[in-house]
Amino acid sequence: MSAFIAANMAPLMFAALIVVMLFGYPVAFALAAVGIFFGLLGIELGMLQATLFQALPERVWGVMSNDTLLAVPFFTFMGLILERSGMAEDLLDTIGQLFGPLRGGLALAVIFVGALLAATTGVVAASVISMGLISLPIMLRYGYDRRFATGVIAASGTLAQIIPPSLVLILMADQLGRSVGDLYQGAFIPGLVLAGMYALYAIGIATLKPAWAPALPPEARTFREANGDSGTSSLGVLFVVSVAAAVAFAQLYYPPDAPTDVLLVVSTSVGVAVAFVASVLNTVLKLGLLSKIATRVTFVLIPPLALIFLVLGTIFLGVATPTEGGAMGATGALIMAVARNRLSFTLLRQAMEATARLTSFVVFILVGARVFSLTFYGVDGHIWVEHLLTALPGGQMGFLIVVNIMVFLLAFFLDFFELAFIVVPLLAPVADKLGIDLVWFGVLLAVNMQTSFMHPPFGFALFYLRSVAPDKDFIDKVTGKLTPRVTTGQIYWGAVPFVLIQIIMVALIIAFPGLVTGGLAKKAVIDTDSLRIEVPAEAPALDGDPGSNNSGNQGTDTSAPPADDDPVRALERALQQPAEPTDAGKSTDKK
Amino acid sequence: MKSLLSLSRSIDRLNEQVGRLVYWLVLVAVLISAGNAISRYTLNLSSNAWLEIQWYLFSAIFLLSAGYTLLYNQHVRIDVVSARLSRRARAWIDILGTLLFLLPVAIAILWMSWPIFVTAFKVHEMSSNAGGLPVWPARLLMPVGFLLLTLQGLSELVKRIAFLQGLIADPSEKLTGPTAEEQLADEIRKQRGEPA
Repeated sequence: MSAFIAANMAPLMFAALIVVMLFGYPVAFALAAVGIFFGLLGIELGMLQATLFQALPERVWGVMSNDTLLAVPFFTFMGLILERSGMAEDLLDTIGQLFGPLRGGLALAVIFVGALLAATTGVVAASVISMGLISLPIMLRYGYDRRFATGVIAASGTLAQIIPPSLVLILMADQLGRSVGDLYQGAFIPGLVLAGMYALYAIGIATLKPAWAPALPPEARTFREANGDSGTSSLGVLFVVSVAAAVAFAQLYYPPDAPTDVLLVVSTSVGVAVAFVASVLNTVLKLGLLSKIATRVTFVLIPPLALIFLVLGTIFLGVATPTEGGAMGATGALIMAVARNRLSFTLLRQAMEATARLTSFVVFILVGARVFSLTFYGVDGHIWVEHLLTALPGGQMGFLIVVNIMVFLLAFFLDFFELAFIVVPLLAPVADKLGIDLVWFGVLLAVNMQTSFMHPPFGFALFYLRSVAPDKDFIDKVTGKLTPRVTTGQIYWGAVPFVLIQIIMVALIIAFPGLVTGGLAKKAVIDTDSLRIEVPAEAPALDGDPGSNNSGNQGTDTSAPPADDDPVRALERALQQPAEPTDAGKSTDKK
Repeated sequence: MKSLLSLSRSIDRLNEQVGRLVYWLVLVAVLISAGNAISRYTLNLSSNAWLEIQWYLFSAIFLLSAGYTLLYNQHVRIDVVSARLSRRARAWIDILGTLLFLLPVAIAILWMSWPIFVTAFKVHEMSSNAGGLPVWPARLLMPVGFLLLTLQGLSELVKRIAFLQGLIADPSEKLTGPTAEEQLADEIRKQRGEPA
């Protein structure tokens, strides 16, 4: 019996992990308990050193002193403040009016605003709820196909997962041992392409099935000039002038070899500034040169664009680390909420409360995963996983296909915290060994994991949409017509085409790696990491944790920390030393 | 059982108070981190102590609110299976989970992290960065955080047992007020003049 256990420790541990997770007790503690139980078993069977668990506090310490994870509360807090600032409502109302008169226009407006919100907040629930309450009723009122309408809303909400600054990319960067900035840059273009594919699908529907996505009737258009004109030509002129200013600035002031993303950020800011100044002058001086909708669109677009510049712009330019970007974004969101008179004491408290709880449960899953991995790597679990995955036919491609199918299926049951902390650390070293770029791999997985929000029946985006979509037949308050409720089946079926688009996107990233790496190759030379003041002695456990070790080189234990003259740390390290070899995968028994 | 329940209520109150205090650190951390970034670029000022306080605060947030998060039943579960079970079955899951998973883990880490703090405190361990902070406050966070978690685990255990004995209502229902998502939905409806 014990020989069998000893020979199959890693698979048994993995099986136990699945069982205890399905048990339904909080994952963080179940994970850690499996680690401790099997650790004791391994010590009993002589497979692990008795000192194994002395590394336990050091594991937690490694999580505490982790600069990357600090971005998690910042971006969460920013999102929570922003979602209540009324920005999303303004955007949806205005952009809906702008695109609404086109066939399929409301769907396009939802996708556009979804992408814009994604680039500022990154909270799926908030986007879905705002759209479900603001855009869905209009779409239902004017006869959109229910499946199409709900699908567009759910999918556009999940863009928050892939377009930076998103939490999943932060966690992924931490687990892959890459910088958050690199993952943000890598995910930016794929995120936009994905939004573009949603838009193409919406245009396709509007063309092939016009009845599914009708244009807003004239009486539903609220922005009118005195002469009855829609005022869009004025907006068009303003747009062209702004773009021209941006392009001219780029041509005149930037060398041709400047990094693309920097160029984009700076020249877009110039264009936006031109539009803003024009709109302000027009309003203040009552020039009457611009139509209502032109000034309105400019004013609603300024806050999100300013925040995008404040956060992503400064990160991409290398001015701020992602953590600082998050803090600046959160401060910016606070200022904006105050300016709009939306910041109450209650809101502030609710946002801080929700942020503290989310931070706690996310980080505790990581702590649990670290405790699990302490034993799992000790019994060579990573080698077992590696053998399983490298034995797949087809080398790199075989690995990628199997891994993506696996993640896709796991996403039905696990949310991205669990995927990022449990599954990704097992895959990353193998991917690295197969010569796969980990930033690219991270973005690929992030696109795949986005489906976890859209999978019926557990997808969170569908769940939140369900919670705000009408569940009883109701009398529409504008048309006075009896409108049937939105069924759960409609929401589920609506998500299916978008899950398929997601799969196509995964295939595209595999086929054209340049989608991700293109943005990186030309990135700014400023290394955001060098801006930090290093805290090397604080994080030895982190380096020693193969789960977060980017080298994929599990045989060499890197936790020998830099020399310092602190006696306590030296003492602790001496205590820890015997445990390290097992930690690094050199157990005595198996191989 | 009665005295145990009153102990459980005291623990709940304790973690509630700690949680309400600790979540202000979110705002403090945001302002300090933004201040650090701004002062470095505008005034070219940078201080290791101010950088280190960022992760001290981060650690305080997640460790000290662990018990509070448990009190509100917000640690992530995979409830594919358990959602289909009865309340009593779920109470049993929580009892077994607390005894087999949470308490052993929390007590083990509490036990092992305390001496590390004591040593750090006695020898006045300082950060190895120039101008850095003393290390012991951060070392203290770990045992305190896991102590709060352990206590809350005990409180949850008492409440589940009392529920199974029919002494109290289902404790997992008690504290679930409107979620952040429901608050947002109500707020949007209110702004738009629709009934919540």
